[in-house]
Amino acid sequence: MKDEKKTAREIIETYNGPAIRIMEVCGTHTHEIFRLGIRSLLPDNIKLISGPGCPVCVTPVNFIDEAVFLAQKRQVTICTFGDLVRVPGTVGSLAKARSEGARVEVVYSPMDAYLYAEKHKTEQVVFLSVGFETTTPASCLAVRKAKQNHLENFSLLTANKTMPQAYQTLKGSADAFLYPGHVHAVMGTTSCEELVREGISGVITGFTAKEIVTALAVIIIKHREGKAFFKNCYPRVVTAAGSKAAQQVMEEVMEPCDAEWRGLGTILQSGLKLRAAYETFDARIKYTMPKLVGHSNTACRCGEVLQGKCYPDGCILFGKTCTPEHPVGACMVSHEGACSAFYQYGGIHHG
Amino acid sequence: MCVGLPARVIRIKDGIALVDASGAKREISAELLDDLDPGDYVMVHAGLAIAKITNNDENETDRIMEEL
Repeated sequence: MKDEKKTAREIIETYNGPAIRIMEVCGTHTHEIFRLGIRSLLPDNIKLISGPGCPVCVTPVNFIDEAVFLAQKRQVTICTFGDLVRVPGTVGSLAKARSEGARVEVVYSPMDAYLYAEKHKTEQVVFLSVGFETTTPASCLAVRKAKQNHLENFSLLTANKTMPQAYQTLKGSADAFLYPGHVHAVMGTTSCEELVREGISGVITGFTAKEIVTALAVIIIKHREGKAFFKNCYPRVVTAAGSKAAQQVMEEVMEPCDAEWRGLGTILQSGLKLRAAYETFDARIKYTMPKLVGHSNTACRCGEVLQGKCYPDGCILFGKTCTPEHPVGACMVSHEGACSAFYQYGGIHHG
Repeated sequence: MCVGLPARVIRIKDGIALVDASGAKREISAELLDDLDPGDYVMVHAGLAIAKITNNDENETDRIMEEL
């Protein structure tokens, strides 16, 4: 039976060629692949590796330390996405700081933080701006609006990151990437096409069972042809150009900078910071942030998990001292983290 | 935090859209999309519509497999 007559599932289940390592970059892909039972379809020679696409997981310890510093030493109100609250810093988490009297508000969006600041003019409000190209436009819109409306009690502590540089850093970790669909909904497909010229293969896909299974089948077929490839398997959301409006607001408000990724170290020009025109909204400048050097638990292997160098249950802390209720590492805190997924669904090594 | 929610636009005015995401209704920013109408589906990230959804996954994946 020829492949074109097979379904995507049959292509995967009957694959008997050389081993293929596929890195699912996005944390939501990791969780959906577990939740949908897709790992159970995979033969032993298809390895799925969880990558660095969970923004909470790749945020370094010193960012948490900076947030705790602002909350405790500068008495600001921290507005944040909920899963950052429990990420351990060097001394403690934002949850611990809150239990000691710091003001920490959980918000759904940067605009909600803006609205909180507008309603609480007597408080100084700092939004923890983490995220990739998916969430960065929302932070930029909030800051631009704050500038337009002269909202002076609002600022950002930035740790925004961009994905293409991470793909290059992880080039040798996988034979192909499952690219995060919504990053490319914003940025378009140009960077993926450029990566093909560097020998980096990948497929953009969505998050339903059919989309993920189809993408894996496409990788198997294209990989067999023996040369680098790219395919957009999610054109219902991802266009070649992406969102020009989102790209423009990011370009207007932020500029590239070097960024530290938990586990990957500093990747040149892989971060975003506020441009000089918006520096009054930069919490590091506004509150004269000292240089903080964070230290994570030395037994925690989140850094290796994020590079695909070990599975979560290869960490001595996994499921023992590190659980979703009492996380030690960021990958266990965030619902999108690989350790959280392995713990929740009972990780399977093969596939 | 970094989770995309597909949602149906119920109404839209001045760049703010009321959307229905699997029964949950809330207002989101739609200022980056300029051709939205009620009934359209959008992908929402952190309270912001980042893209319009133009097809369903069934039709799209069938076509990709046919082309393969």
